[in-house]
Amino acid sequence: MSKDYAVIGKNVPKIDGREKATGAAKYAGDLKFPNMLFGKLLTSPHAHAKILSIDTSEAEKLPGVKAVITHKDVPALKYGISPARWDENIFCIDKVRFIGDKVAAVACIDEETCYKALKLIKVEYEVLPAVLDALLAMDEGAPQVHDEYPRNINTEIHQNFGDLDKALAEAYHVRNDYFVGQRTYQSPIEPHSAVSIWKDNKLTIYSSTQSPHYFQYYIAREFGLKMGDVRIIKPFVGGGFGGKLEPTGLEFAGAVLSKLTGRPVRTFYDRHEMFAHNRGRHKVYMELTTGVDKEGKILGVHANFVSDGGAYTSLGVATSYYAGGLLTLTYEFENYKFDMIRVYTNLPACGAQRGHGAPQPKYAFESHLDNIAKDLGLDPLEIRLRNARQPNTVTINDFGINSCELTACLEKAADISGWREKKGNLPKGRGIGIATGSFVSGAGYPIYRNDLPQSAAMIKVHEDGTAATLYTGAVDIGQGSDTALCQMAAEAMGYRYENMKIIAADTETTPHDFGAYSSRQTLMSGSACKQAGEEIKKQILDIASTIMSLPPDDLDCRLGIIFSKSRPTAKTITFEEAARRFFVLRGPLLGRGVYHVPRLGGTFKGAAVATSPAYSFCAQISEVQIDEETGEVDVCEVWDVHDCGQVINPMQLHGQVHGALYMGVGEAIWEEVLFDDQGKILNPNLGGYMLPTALDMPIVHSELVESFEPAGPWGVKEVGEGATNPTMGCFNNAIYDAMGVRIDSLPLTYEKVWCAMKEKREGKTESNTEV
Amino acid sequence: MYLPDFDYYAPDSLAETCEGLEHFGAKAKVLSGGTDIIAKMKSGLLNPEVLISLKKLEDLKKIEYVSGKGVVIGALSTHNDLVNSKILNDKYLSVSEAAHNMASNQIRNIGTVGGNLCNAVPSADLPPILIALGATIKLVGTKGERVMLLEDLFTGPMKTVIAENEILTEIVIPDQPSTGSNYIKFGLRRSGALAVVGIAVAVTVNGGTFTEAKIAIGAAAPTPIRARETEKFLQGKTISDDLLAEAGVIASGESKPISDIRGSAEYRRDLIRVLTRRALHKAINEGHV
Ligand SMILES: Cc1cc2nc3c(=O)[nH]c(=O)nc-3n(C[C@H](O)[C@H](O)[C@H](O)COP(=O)(O)OP(=O)(O)OC[C@H]3O[C@@H](n4cnc5c(N)ncnc54)[C@H](O)[C@@H]3O)c2cc1C
Repeated sequence: MSKDYAVIGKNVPKIDGREKATGAAKYAGDLKFPNMLFGKLLTSPHAHAKILSIDTSEAEKLPGVKAVITHKDVPALKYGISPARWDENIFCIDKVRFIGDKVAAVACIDEETCYKALKLIKVEYEVLPAVLDALLAMDEGAPQVHDEYPRNINTEIHQNFGDLDKALAEAYHVRNDYFVGQRTYQSPIEPHSAVSIWKDNKLTIYSSTQSPHYFQYYIAREFGLKMGDVRIIKPFVGGGFGGKLEPTGLEFAGAVLSKLTGRPVRTFYDRHEMFAHNRGRHKVYMELTTGVDKEGKILGVHANFVSDGGAYTSLGVATSYYAGGLLTLTYEFENYKFDMIRVYTNLPACGAQRGHGAPQPKYAFESHLDNIAKDLGLDPLEIRLRNARQPNTVTINDFGINSCELTACLEKAADISGWREKKGNLPKGRGIGIATGSFVSGAGYPIYRNDLPQSAAMIKVHEDGTAATLYTGAVDIGQGSDTALCQMAAEAMGYRYENMKIIAADTETTPHDFGAYSSRQTLMSGSACKQAGEEIKKQILDIASTIMSLPPDDLDCRLGIIFSKSRPTAKTITFEEAARRFFVLRGPLLGRGVYHVPRLGGTFKGAAVATSPAYSFCAQISEVQIDEETGEVDVCEVWDVHDCGQVINPMQLHGQVHGALYMGVGEAIWEEVLFDDQGKILNPNLGGYMLPTALDMPIVHSELVESFEPAGPWGVKEVGEGATNPTMGCFNNAIYDAMGVRIDSLPLTYEKVWCAMKEKREGKTESNTEV
Repeated sequence: MYLPDFDYYAPDSLAETCEGLEHFGAKAKVLSGGTDIIAKMKSGLLNPEVLISLKKLEDLKKIEYVSGKGVVIGALSTHNDLVNSKILNDKYLSVSEAAHNMASNQIRNIGTVGGNLCNAVPSADLPPILIALGATIKLVGTKGERVMLLEDLFTGPMKTVIAENEILTEIVIPDQPSTGSNYIKFGLRRSGALAVVGIAVAVTVNGGTFTEAKIAIGAAAPTPIRARETEKFLQGKTISDDLLAEAGVIASGESKPISDIRGSAEYRRDLIRVLTRRALHKAINEGHV
């Protein structure tokens, strides 16, 4: 970031750092209200069953129970987050579709009574055969998860760009590979909680949410309320990663319980319930066929995927489009076919998880590309350099790319990791791998169709000018948007970060913003905040010009000092003085900003998904050490080089890279939600679900390349999700380099590595075939 | 998940504890650090009406050396007590290291050695190394006390010979001629992971030959097991790389692991082969580590 800036580009202290570090910060589950009740949900113990009857009479008799509700007490209107597929009910009406599906809820005077009451609800089920395997779900005669969706097909995509058949026919080499991903779970440290207060005709919900707006819209819709009568407030949130983007039974049931009892109701998940609710990453089955010329230039690609969506849609329609849509970003090719089927199964629903849809296809493609490089005798770095996307290009599926420094990222990653010295020269058991990634800087279109701007912001300067409050709908869930947006507002105003206050993510007091997802806030919310700040500055300079008797055009304001640009010796005044005078003479000093995305993308079906005003790019290199006998993978070191445009707060940026890598490393080697043959999760806790620990993390080098994005305020673009995308493929390639074995399913566990090495020793053929 | 209701007692003496256990019979369970039993009660796997806590039995919180007897470890010693005990660090660092590689620091601060043994899960980390070192245990009940080899405690997964009115009070690592011991835990991450397999060895080496080798393996069968064939094979043999490799093969053949979410039986058997060799190698060359 250029040195001309006073506030942005600097490591200012996090605006909420002290509160969080001292434990003063209050999360939804910490909130207490007079007379508050506790609510819990009763969920299905069967993966697929008819509900024959529900008897709540015993539960109602238990002292301390204030309300017991089932589907009879709530609207029957189906909801969901993907508009084309509203397929969930607040409570199941005639059948349950996965272990954990919502059946009833209670509100009681304390938590303990809730558990006792839940045990007293008698539900009679008729167990139905369940479909637990996505590849069998489409078979004739397979159990039907939803009657409305024959053969359990939830989403089907067939996109065709250019002439793939011709490209493959003319290719020097065509390769076909098959890879399988895994279901993972976001595992935010803060469990989901909500406090619902339905009083008179107004519903207020404090929720651990990534998007007050979508919660407000869908909750108002469900209960037939005006959006203005639903207020969603986000307290501190301990991580979301995509899992807190849609309202859950906690809000829907909590609202009804509050309405019935006339008291605030706190509903919450424990860790097991979080896993059961899930909405984690889809498991995708991925077939890739690619044709290249002699030099390794990619001519055409066919991506043929099936994904296991679980019992409901959640965000899965978008996930499915993203899975193939984003594959065209990092490498340039002109012929592309993308086929995808997302199927329903009797497992918990999958949704959006950091890198939405992209990481598993990226794992497959980056592994596939290394296979091709090997077939051609090319260095993996070289094949990537030959195909790397260039700036000011348009992908075959109509995404416009402005800034793109992928080539520079690859070169720098190679330099700082010592790729050229290491490649081919490491001792056996040690390997180095490379992969690239890219991600949207905010989805070009909202989740449900509407014409609202992406983001809006207001700034109110205190009457004596000693503080300014930024009002934004942007949602800080730990990533630090409150800090970055205050920096941006202060920069635009010519003010000081230290004097900024923020009120964010409350649908009643803050202007609209779609929330924290698709890495959108720095670019989109940032644009609105910048504009609001500029409006303040314009007004402050205007009043200052009357005080200073200088033309407003000659004035500027920096760090709260207003000065003449042409007369450096002219007397300056402070922002405070000018602001105070403004208030006295003209009333409140307010700034407003709004950000609309320009129309983006093509006209084919699904063209809207994965459009964005700007795309980040990155290259990753990782080094591993494999225990040749046990298969144990030591993830030694990772080099991540990002093109994320200009940087507002370097420390937060590198924090995002570390966090994204943490998730990527976990999903690469360790994490998987496992089920038994009845559809029950075997590891719904942090003991069994293998998140890496601090001791397991590699040494991380996070570096940047110089880049400026014209579509972003001050040239910014995304970083939060992009660094998750290359990681799994990168590690697979490093393992291949170390041991000459290719693991074709995630996670790349020690046992799979052991097994692949054993098969190689025993001379069994590699599972990946060459066409 | 919530903790069901139960009655709670914390007697002042061993005798009262045993009487209480006898009085409540099958309804009661012993509570030590609670890191196993409380989790099981929360998830509904166990539902005792009464918990009898050992926490006031100060005598059981000790690690001391008694000459002529050996290192005496009170059942209430926490994992971190084992980690930090000077006596163990000096004599059997392998035990401290085994404790150090368990769970997480929070769990090591409250989980006890008694709980780890009495819980009797096949993957527990302390039984193998203590068995390899020939540890004995003392069980005290209303009808007196008995001393036995630790390896005779286990009868199956989560099953022991402990009677309803008995508690385990101490573990003794006897004085011994062994020259080296070592425990290798193979977990799926570096902290907070249960053993996929755990191999403990204690060797007595004299001039390049094995006088004795004891090998105990966790997560290889319904209980921690001794690899007796392997031990017999090694006795009196001259140490060589080939010999240790062959020992690994025999130990692998002696094991009867299962497949579960942490690993397949086939994988476990091969890990036993590799890690037995490595553990022997380490114990021979590095002493009690
Ligand atoms: C997150 C986590 C990670 C873990 N990681 C590991 C690991 O890496 N390795 C490992 O081996 N274990 C691990 N454990 C399991 C557990 O922590 C240990 O087994 C611990 O040693 C149990 O001791 P405790 O004192 O907490 O036992 P408790 O839970 O109090 O008791 C366990 C059982 O033993 C009985 N009992 C306890 N003491 C006596 C006694 N003196 N006489 C008779 N019966 C008794 C109890 O009645 C109960 O049935 C882990 C547990 C957790 C929660």
